[in-house]
Amino acid sequence: MEQSIMKMLRRRYLSACILAIGLMIGGLAYAQSSAPASAPAPAAPPPSASAAELKDAAGKAPATADLQKGDPGGTLTGTISDVPAADPKAGVTLPDVANMAGQNKIAINFTWTLVCGFLVMFMQAGFAMVEAGLCRVKNANHTYMMNFFVYGCGLLAYWLIGFAIQMGGAAGNGNLGGLQPLALEHTTTLFGKTWGLFGGSGMFLSGHTYDVGVMVIFLFQMVFMDTALTIVTGACAERWKFLTFAVSSVLMGAFTYPLFANWAWGGGWLAQMGTNIGLGKGYCDFAGSGVVHAVGGLTALAVALIIGPRIGKFNRDGSSNAIIGHDISAVLIGCFILAFGWFGFNPGSTLGASANGNLRIGSIAVNTMLAGCTGTFGALLYMWCLKGKPDASMSGNGLLAGLVAITAPSGFVSPVSSAIIGLIAGVLVCLSCAFIENVLKVDDPVGAISVHGANGLWGVLSVGLFADGTSNYGGSWNGVTGSVTGLFYGDASQLAAQLVGIATLLGFVFTFSFLLNLGLEFFVGHRVSAETEVAGLDLPEMGQLGYPEFVFREESTVFAQAPREFAVA
Amino acid sequence: MAATTGQGRSFTTFIVGLTGLCAGIAYFSTGVGKFIAVAGALVVVMSLLAFLRIKPLEGKPAQKAGAGGMKLMGAFVSALGWLLILAGLHVVTGTSGRIVLGLVGIGVSLFGILYILPTAFNKNAIWKS
Repeated sequence: MEQSIMKMLRRRYLSACILAIGLMIGGLAYAQSSAPASAPAPAAPPPSASAAELKDAAGKAPATADLQKGDPGGTLTGTISDVPAADPKAGVTLPDVANMAGQNKIAINFTWTLVCGFLVMFMQAGFAMVEAGLCRVKNANHTYMMNFFVYGCGLLAYWLIGFAIQMGGAAGNGNLGGLQPLALEHTTTLFGKTWGLFGGSGMFLSGHTYDVGVMVIFLFQMVFMDTALTIVTGACAERWKFLTFAVSSVLMGAFTYPLFANWAWGGGWLAQMGTNIGLGKGYCDFAGSGVVHAVGGLTALAVALIIGPRIGKFNRDGSSNAIIGHDISAVLIGCFILAFGWFGFNPGSTLGASANGNLRIGSIAVNTMLAGCTGTFGALLYMWCLKGKPDASMSGNGLLAGLVAITAPSGFVSPVSSAIIGLIAGVLVCLSCAFIENVLKVDDPVGAISVHGANGLWGVLSVGLFADGTSNYGGSWNGVTGSVTGLFYGDASQLAAQLVGIATLLGFVFTFSFLLNLGLEFFVGHRVSAETEVAGLDLPEMGQLGYPEFVFREESTVFAQAPREFAVA
Repeated sequence: MAATTGQGRSFTTFIVGLTGLCAGIAYFSTGVGKFIAVAGALVVVMSLLAFLRIKPLEGKPAQKAGAGGMKLMGAFVSALGWLLILAGLHVVTGTSGRIVLGLVGIGVSLFGILYILPTAFNKNAIWKS
């Protein structure tokens, strides 16, 4: 009895509330619609409440005398006095405040993107240390120099033409002010749909692309491209002719990388699969597991196949020798530098910290940390359990593998998924290193193909599996409304889009890189002479030893002191 | 022999040619742009010929040539997997079908990359001799 009375009272109370809200909304709507009709036309517009408030705020702003006393608490600095007025006589107006808010948003996003770009640029130092540390001392100068000069080769090629191919049709990014000068995408029409092929604006950053927003996106994308280029130098270290490395890097920065990057990030056909044929949100690669790492890793595989293994790597029966690097401290410090730079790589890929769902940068940064951590665990425990030692170089590679794998999904997945993705990556890098060395007989001194190629592809795939549909970067991705959602959260079509991306990486990027470098093999030749290789590349190729005061041991002694069980394979 | 002044000069020629070619493409709508593009392309070709000329001077690498046809076959098969998907996307409309198609295409590409190409390069590998 009591319950039914209570129920009735609740219903009545709810009905009364709904009625009251309805009346309020109706009244407000009536007042708003009738106000202009009933109000007499004023002779002069009276100051609005907001204008009066602005005037009041201006009056309360700290005087110069107050500011001269210093502001240790920071309460007087950054007030209405700092908002520039279009008309100083009229003081600060509402449009002034609105313009300032807009400029603040863009300024925050510019600063964020630039600082993240600077962090990514610093990753070059990490790559140099990792690669040189994993090589023998007789090739240290050569390996460091490749990592140093790849920056220049890539930057020049990208400025000449690469940026235009990649981002020349990428107008429309609201985070960076619209990037309207980048409005030329060359397209083709197939089956009644328009597909982007490559961009056209921005060569030499001249003409109308001499623009503040374009400069920011150029810097950020350039350092990404350079990361892809530097991956190849690791796989081909200790036998790559410096001349061929330079030409190959220029061509990769000019054509190979920008083409795929356009398809994924520059408004090209992979990104359009969502709008054109309903495959999820199109190919999704948040920060570049595919665009940067798989492109670098697959190109590394192509060149490593062509260039062949180092002298002494494989025995006549096909078994391999572990050729130990000269400086494990450089390797591990390099890995830390790379992990630090990755905080620019992944969170920076929002291209902003203000508006459009960009506050997700916190979760992106945490996802990045977690995947690196579990990647290290995966590799370290695999080596410790199966080979008996917590191998340092493979632990470093495990960290990098986790970071590579989380790069594509970092903006779309939860921390738990990140940890799983990283753990799988850590084990995968060990298995892949063994497979590449034992089965393919490809010599990769630093494990670049496994770290970046295999785990880059895993990262792309994991978006199609783990994306949880909670991200909201302005309400859509690649022009499709909604959040990126993978198979485990209900959208199988996203997995299909990711598979098309992987097939493009394998079928186009690898083949294109392979044929390009096969051409260079004909014209230039990739490999140094056998004499140079045995002597070490430092003196013949660079004219200077990396460590002139070191005493070299006989090569055979080095191999003899590298026990078989130390080999990952 | 290793790095030489000849290499340095031919690389400089290559960079100058590529810069000219790109500048020409950037301003291709103008007469001067077309001229610079053609001139740049010619300089790039000259640099490639210079590379070819100095290549034998650099000593013999620890490599053996051979199985060229098989290398091209490997590249063709790796591209075939991708082309298969591109063509199939417009034939197969269901999500499941597209996933299967994607997996088949990736499998074909991987066969070219992980089986045919390593076999081609290891056929006459110098470490076998």
